[in-house]
Amino acid sequence: MAEESQSEGGLVPAFRRQKRETKMHHHKAIEIKNLYFSYPDGTRALNKINLSIENGESVALLGPNGAGKSTLLLHLNAILQGQGEIRIFNLPIVSENIREIRRRVGVVFQDPDDQLFCPTVFDDVAFGPINMGLSREEVNKRVKKALGEVGMKGFEEKAAYHLSFGQKKRVATATVLSMEPDILVLDEPSSNLDPKGRRELLSILVSIPVTKIVVTHDLLFAMELCDRAIIMDDGKIVADGSIDDILADEDVLDAHGLEAPAGIEEIKQRAKERSKVHRLRSTEA
Amino acid sequence: MKHSYLDSFSNLDSFIHHLDARAKIIMFFSLVILAVSTPAHDYYAFAVYFGILFFLLLMSRLPLGHVFKRSLVVVPFVLMVAVFIPFFKANTGTGGYNIGGINMSKSGLLVFWNVVVKSYIGVISMIILSSSTSFKDLMRGFERLKVPPIFTAIASFMYRYLFVVADEAMRMKIARDSRNFSGKWIWDTRVIAHMIGSLFMRSYERGERVYLAMVSRGYDGTMRGFDDTQLSRKDLLFASGIILAILLIRLSVLINLKLVN
Repeated sequence: MAEESQSEGGLVPAFRRQKRETKMHHHKAIEIKNLYFSYPDGTRALNKINLSIENGESVALLGPNGAGKSTLLLHLNAILQGQGEIRIFNLPIVSENIREIRRRVGVVFQDPDDQLFCPTVFDDVAFGPINMGLSREEVNKRVKKALGEVGMKGFEEKAAYHLSFGQKKRVATATVLSMEPDILVLDEPSSNLDPKGRRELLSILVSIPVTKIVVTHDLLFAMELCDRAIIMDDGKIVADGSIDDILADEDVLDAHGLEAPAGIEEIKQRAKERSKVHRLRSTEA
Repeated sequence: MKHSYLDSFSNLDSFIHHLDARAKIIMFFSLVILAVSTPAHDYYAFAVYFGILFFLLLMSRLPLGHVFKRSLVVVPFVLMVAVFIPFFKANTGTGGYNIGGINMSKSGLLVFWNVVVKSYIGVISMIILSSSTSFKDLMRGFERLKVPPIFTAIASFMYRYLFVVADEAMRMKIARDSRNFSGKWIWDTRVIAHMIGSLFMRSYERGERVYLAMVSRGYDGTMRGFDDTQLSRKDLLFASGIILAILLIRLSVLINLKLVN
């Protein structure tokens, strides 16, 4: 089911380019115009942010600590409100729309213990749908589906303190997926995960066909999940392009406190060879 | 770190476990209130109360060792409050005892007995209640009995995050021990004060983050849930049966008094 998509000289891991059914939206998923934000104590966190993200895109948000990435995330579901215009699927952020916006934009925070605050896993994953006013049968269906999507079926009656960190991360993701968002925003999804947990989370996220925005320091993770990369520094967007281009540009990475991960050349080479082999096989078949 | 939880044995299979939480709450609280209101010298009444409690304990199939260990929590309070009373309460003319040269007044001993027996009945009742009901069902039971949701919400969050904070405290202790050369830092109250302050700050900030997570998932001020348990005839009959039995004992005391006088 993987389509082949050619980009000039760039690596194209076949599974990353799988395009699945996404809901037809005529508007851009996220449109931000001239966003400014300062914290109450005066620190200027966002400085003239202009950004637009199409439906179905997978965007990595990179940058040094303190760049304003998490602050920007909190604007996407109207938790923080700065000066400027933000539209989510053409809905402006005003109080009548906030409920709908929070359903459409699901934010998975960094620490799963902050998101698992109910007695059992079922309650946590059901929290969103229940607040949406859904019926009991629908809530049960959504919980089952969300837990299935993250590979945690059967854990409904467990309490959060019984889970390992990787399991907690997956359940935290499920608590957001049960609301069936159109945009999934993730704050450092792979941090503190062991390699197995990281791999599991990556395969889960790759298989969910929604618009994704991922704040991360894990550049290899970003490369495997995202098509596009945006670098923020000091409250501004300083680079915006395809992830291959951005990660190949050592100067821009260096200027903003980032580094291409060690071994990236080898990985790109291997990916190129993999897609070459795939192309050969499909022509033979 | 292994934590022992309030509702450790709440997943056992017994008659008491399957009763509706509301029925159990009303039953055990009535038991405690009636026991506390009984005059201290009605030893027979207390014997019956303990008998009923033991009956409930056996029906609940809870491990007796666990219940006994938990009940020891009352010991420090008794020690602080009551243990010295027999030795200091002034002799009011009802006589006393003299063991090995130490005077104990009878009325003082009665006060001591009063404190011990009533606190013990209270503790055992609450242990059976909390060990036979999952914490979630217990809180839901209180809510359905019209306890203001703010109390149950605070209790639920405290229960959820208490062990998170305990783990943070353990990590702080390990970090501190790694940097300590001179031995017993526990006597350094400054260190403990800093730890407590730091834990408070972290908990406060975590509270802010949890609130953000709740708001992101549509929280608007009301904690919602589904009510799946109904009060069945079995619940009502059993609970009222127990309450009636205790009420009769309690009232029989009054009746006895009236007959005597």
